[in-house]
Amino acid sequence: MTNADLNYDVLIVGAGVVGCAIARELARHRKREGEAFRVGVLEKEPDVSFGTSSRNSAVLHSGINYAPGSLRGALNVKGNAMMDRLCADLKVPIKRIGKLTVALTEEDLPGLHKQRSQGEANGVPGMELMDNAKMRTIQPGIEGILGLWTPTSAIISSFGLTIALAENAQANGVDFHLNCEVVGVERGEGKRTFGVRGSDGRVYTSRLLINAAGLHCDEVSAMLGITDVKIWSCRGEYYVLDRRLDGTLKTLIYPVPGPNDPGLGIHLTPTVDGNILIGPSATYIPEEDREDYRATSAVMADLRREGLHLLPDLAASDFIRSFSGNRPKQTPPEKGGNADFTIEETSVPGFIHLLGIESPGLTSSPAIAGMVRDMVAKHIPLAERDDFAPERPGFIGTFAELPLEQRMDLIRTEPEYGEVICRCERITKREIRQAIENPLGARTMASIKYRARAQMGRCQGGFCMPRIVRMLRDEYGFDPKDFFIRGGAPMFSGHVREGGDGR
Amino acid sequence: MTEKTIESIKGEFVCVVCPNGCFIEAEYTTEGGAKLLSLAGNRCERGRDWVRQELETPMRTIATSIPVRDGDFLLASVRTAAPIPLERVADVMREIRARTLDAPLSIGQVVIKNPAGTNTEIVVTREVARR
Amino acid sequence: MSAATGSNRVIERDLVVIGGGPAGLAAAIAAREAGGDVLLIERDRILGGILNQCIHDGFGLHRFGEALSGPEYAGRFISRLRELDVPVMQNTIVLGLSRDRRLLVSRLGELQEIRARAVILAMGCRERTRGALSIPGHRPSGVYTAGAAQNFVNMENIMPGSRICILGSGDIGLIMARRMTLEGAKVEAVFELLPWSSGLPRNIRQCLVDYGIPLFLSTTVVDIVGMGRLEGVRVAQVDEQRRPVEGTERFVPCDTLLLSVGLIPENELAREAGISLSPITGGALVDADCMTDVPGIFSCGNALHVHDLVDRVSEEAERAGRAAAAYVSGALPKADAPVAVRPGAGVRYVMPDHVSVPKVISGPEKITLAFRVTEPRRDGVVRLTTDDGVVLKEEKHPRLHPAEMVWASLDLSQFEEMKRSGKTLEVSAS
Repeated sequence: MTNADLNYDVLIVGAGVVGCAIARELARHRKREGEAFRVGVLEKEPDVSFGTSSRNSAVLHSGINYAPGSLRGALNVKGNAMMDRLCADLKVPIKRIGKLTVALTEEDLPGLHKQRSQGEANGVPGMELMDNAKMRTIQPGIEGILGLWTPTSAIISSFGLTIALAENAQANGVDFHLNCEVVGVERGEGKRTFGVRGSDGRVYTSRLLINAAGLHCDEVSAMLGITDVKIWSCRGEYYVLDRRLDGTLKTLIYPVPGPNDPGLGIHLTPTVDGNILIGPSATYIPEEDREDYRATSAVMADLRREGLHLLPDLAASDFIRSFSGNRPKQTPPEKGGNADFTIEETSVPGFIHLLGIESPGLTSSPAIAGMVRDMVAKHIPLAERDDFAPERPGFIGTFAELPLEQRMDLIRTEPEYGEVICRCERITKREIRQAIENPLGARTMASIKYRARAQMGRCQGGFCMPRIVRMLRDEYGFDPKDFFIRGGAPMFSGHVREGGDGR
Repeated sequence: MTEKTIESIKGEFVCVVCPNGCFIEAEYTTEGGAKLLSLAGNRCERGRDWVRQELETPMRTIATSIPVRDGDFLLASVRTAAPIPLERVADVMREIRARTLDAPLSIGQVVIKNPAGTNTEIVVTREVARR
Repeated sequence: MSAATGSNRVIERDLVVIGGGPAGLAAAIAAREAGGDVLLIERDRILGGILNQCIHDGFGLHRFGEALSGPEYAGRFISRLRELDVPVMQNTIVLGLSRDRRLLVSRLGELQEIRARAVILAMGCRERTRGALSIPGHRPSGVYTAGAAQNFVNMENIMPGSRICILGSGDIGLIMARRMTLEGAKVEAVFELLPWSSGLPRNIRQCLVDYGIPLFLSTTVVDIVGMGRLEGVRVAQVDEQRRPVEGTERFVPCDTLLLSVGLIPENELAREAGISLSPITGGALVDADCMTDVPGIFSCGNALHVHDLVDRVSEEAERAGRAAAAYVSGALPKADAPVAVRPGAGVRYVMPDHVSVPKVISGPEKITLAFRVTEPRRDGVVRLTTDDGVVLKEEKHPRLHPAEMVWASLDLSQFEEMKRSGKTLEVSAS
């Protein structure tokens, strides 16, 4: 690669849902004048979506939780409204199942009414207050004296959206540099305003620099001398429940949040894949461990207890996995609660940072991307491209969910749709192959999991993981040391024996 | 599992001759080489013989794999055809580890004779066809 | 499942056996020998199931009087299956099963429906994972179920790591402790939550004691440490309620943690077909012919309940195979009110769940009962009694252990008598 390839108009740091949404939004545009509009993304992990974007409740919020006039209130409502079109174009699973925010006692009522008036001010469509009888037409057996129904609340695949945004951005000309952590930023001259040193040893230059580094965005801003911003990492732990319980929850059900809660409270969330999540907790973690995604025994016990309280017939075997995700917070532990997003061009001209994009960051992401595009356009006049390809070609979603006859037909033309690799989720070899051959070149086991949904079922990869390993070795030439779960260190230490046919 | 008395040692053994897995309590001495003094709990005579052998020269079957060239499996599983002294396991493993085999291979095929002088054979335990 | 379209032929078979491991092989052979038309469906590229990766010896002591390795034991059944010309679909997975025994099967280039007059479920079991144990900590690489590690080491020539801890003293974990040691890894220890080992005594001796690997009972992993690769585990002793005891924690450095913490019968298909499952075993509730509560669907082997010895799997599966063949030919008497079989004091479960009378042509006039005790006992007594306290049989056992299945039998005539007097059988241990 020649040096010229590393010169960009816009560089984005961080390939979470926000960075990828910005990348795709910029890809929809060309420069009004002059040569090609070059956009690059730098990501320290071996794939996109490995941080907070794959570690959350995967809920699209309606916008009732935020103060009128706040940035996130506005971006939430706007982003939510953009999602149907986006998910249709990118074939991302989304279900508009609505949400009931439920007051259990009289004490909850002021909080509930506050949410309603916030929603009204923010322009949340279709809100309705419901008594218990009305709520029960939506969710049989639900407790509570009054509920606020928000029909635009939805569930989505959060990593599915992030990956789709990235792959579509790439198909439209954006460069993704994975395994490339930003280790330093220098200021330059003219069109080479920024020189960004990557952990790959290369220097990337750009005219504009966008910091969407999530849990690390204050560290990136500090590289340009902006030291008055600070991010705290606040962990949320979850349990994933077996798909046996699919259909139990007809809608999202949330408690009324307290004024100083750092999150939205522990609750049950159905996922688009048919699982249920219990969580998230909210625990601030030490500065140096921002990406420590540990599960703790105390919280796990809380979540189990809460889960059993909400779903009394839960069996031990229904808890198939736990995971954690960390919120990038601008509010310190002693203050709690949460602050509005900070999205601004900083005191360093051409340097835009996005701070504290916690909930509702996923919902807001397309609207954030539009806002950042306008900030970019002030420096580089932009026009919409007429050759932008908004859709992901050749991607059919999950094969097992297609009608039987369509499956039978597809198998005839693509025989590998007949070979099932992941038994629990019924993922075929063809889908695994598509995931392995993803255009971003991400080859970790998690990359395959997030794209094909293999290893996500109740056996947690016990059946399919060895088969995927065999496939990667036999058909893609992997050596034992080439296998990674996410990043960090290889899964295996080597061959048992050398000699023979090796492999 | 053992407790020392003045002249004899009491030990508890789980017999592995058959799946009954008898708990056998044995009294033995180690002066001038291990020697069985008495035992109780065995349901058959094979148990007595086994405990004596466990004390004097424990014997084990070992199983491992040898890499294969041109096979439809990368490894052929193998085992000792008869038990070998436990203390010779490392020597036999060393000899097996030095080997590579060529497909095809069939169950029972002898691939090493008299490994490390243990007077048994290493036999293949998996059919490996030519690729 | 809708009827297949005209262009997709529906295949009709008398008996379909799902799973080509030890249970499926023995069931298919027995059914074929009884004169039935049998189709065996196996999801893997080879027959033999889990036996293919169990290269250690000790299989077949009961059945063949020899200590065979897993592949050899399977090989004997595979040879017999070939002699009998039983048709086999390999690399084929059953995606769906309905109550009226329609199967949706999938393989390379093909998705088709098969209608069977009888079905034998022989899908085996799967391993319990970290998720089911709720072990706190990080999610580094280097944490594997013992069976997955066994597959990598024995089938794929891949070494999971070099410094190993094992949680759970189930047989697969013990076997892997020795296996990894022989291949040059350092096995630091085996930790067992219970105050007794859940593996066979000979495996404790030959896999741990022989190699100086310590086994810590009443001890469990309370934290998994390592952001990229596993760096170690924190372990603690547990009290009688299996709660970690404060002050007993210690850190054990390792790069690999193998989990050998239990097996779960594989029963997604049984659930889909509406078959009643036991909350204790996770397998189907069956009668002495291994027939579930959905007529014509049978279950055997580890899909029915997790066994300790493969020889017993084969025996049970042959019973299922003969009974299924009889069902197809109409020779299996229709079951009316069966005699219930219940676990009493000291017994976790009994197989079968009930005995249909009249039975049976599937075997001699003896009914075999298999059960597991709840805790280890020396000089124990097993009693088979009716629910009104009449002792039908009493057997002394020098040693009873939860890790080992216990077997007993009663004459069919005794069940006929219980049926006449409307009684239930109870199995207890003391």
